[in-house]
Amino acid sequence: MKGKLVATVIAISVGLFILVGTLLPFPILVPMRLELLRWAVIISSAAVMVGIANLISVHFQKVRRREKNSIYSAVLILSMSFTLALGVVFGPNGEWTQALFEGIIFPVEASLMALLAVTLIYASVRLLRRRADLMSIVFVVTAALTIFASISLPFFGEIPLLGDVIGPWLTSTLAAGGARGLLLGVALGALTTGLRALFAFDRPFGGK
Amino acid sequence: MSDFIVGIVSFLFTIMILSYLIGDNVLFRLAVHIFVGASAGYVAAVAIHQVIWPYLFVPLFEGSMLERGLTMIPLIFFVLMLMKMSPRLSSLGGPAVGYLVGAGAAVAISGAVLGTILPQVDAAAQPFDWLQNPNPLGTLFNGIVMLIGTVATLIYFQFGARRADDGSVKRNVIIEALAWVGRLFVALTLGVLFAGVFSAALTALIERIYSLLALFGF
Repeated sequence: MKGKLVATVIAISVGLFILVGTLLPFPILVPMRLELLRWAVIISSAAVMVGIANLISVHFQKVRRREKNSIYSAVLILSMSFTLALGVVFGPNGEWTQALFEGIIFPVEASLMALLAVTLIYASVRLLRRRADLMSIVFVVTAALTIFASISLPFFGEIPLLGDVIGPWLTSTLAAGGARGLLLGVALGALTTGLRALFAFDRPFGGK
Repeated sequence: MSDFIVGIVSFLFTIMILSYLIGDNVLFRLAVHIFVGASAGYVAAVAIHQVIWPYLFVPLFEGSMLERGLTMIPLIFFVLMLMKMSPRLSSLGGPAVGYLVGAGAAVAISGAVLGTILPQVDAAAQPFDWLQNPNPLGTLFNGIVMLIGTVATLIYFQFGARRADDGSVKRNVIIEALAWVGRLFVALTLGVLFAGVFSAALTALIERIYSLLALFGF
């Protein structure tokens, strides 16, 4: 109970100090806010370590219990240990670490992104098959118009009217209006969630 | 030589991931697990080299007395956070999580107000500034359309309703109509975003195919 009270007091006081330091233009508050944020970065790195330890623990348990497909867990632990050792010894910008980054991490990320192109086409076809209502049609037609407006055809170049009038109006007026609404909605949601956490209505660190 | 080996490894991983196009298979799963492990290891190495060592250990070992004293506070929270690794000591990590929640909430609030709400409201008002616009009518028309889109989109996510005499729960007719317009704007916006993501994914696909061809000298 005491621990939860301490956590709540720390959350409220740290949050208020940082918020006041950001919103009020008093020079004395700036270094205090920066120092508190620097500490938050240090504690976040400990949270990263906890997350990685948890990942190792989960996969180690799978290997120990010899669960189905535990060979993948063993491979994951091996690749993590190898990369961590390389990164700690040579640094994240070291030659060997960068070779590993360029040989594994970058190509896999780019290939997963490339797979997305195929799955997106498949998903849009499925959308029209399963739910061909007005909103689905508006969604797919808008996506198609935006793509065709941004491409340049061989021999023809930019598609007349679509490339210079409809496309830009679609993206910079119609979609911008909707995007602004979505952005404001997300920001209002973040503001509410932040205030709830700051005034201890929500306590993700324990307590009611 | 090392570039060639990196190229071969990169080629193998590209093929392993793209093999998913013929269905989920051993090669794809192997590549994904190696990728997750390597990424986690890389993130840990970055955290150690760029945060823990320079911000925590260097001030502790090489800093002045004031720096050492100040660094003791994050060191205590750091150790408390590490307690989360053990189920028995996990509850001791509460204050460290509390610190992160407080700091995160403050950053989220200031980011939402100063980084999104105020600039977006300002940008929404810009087309109505007659003196600033060279083409006032066209800009005004676009500004009105955008404003309708913004307001209608926000109304679409407003789910407040009243109970009617027959017991059914319905939204106001005007709100319902505006929410329908908002839904239209959301579909349009997601369509444009979809096109953007698709273009990025297509660029990545072309880059991967090009890199495969380049490895063999095409």
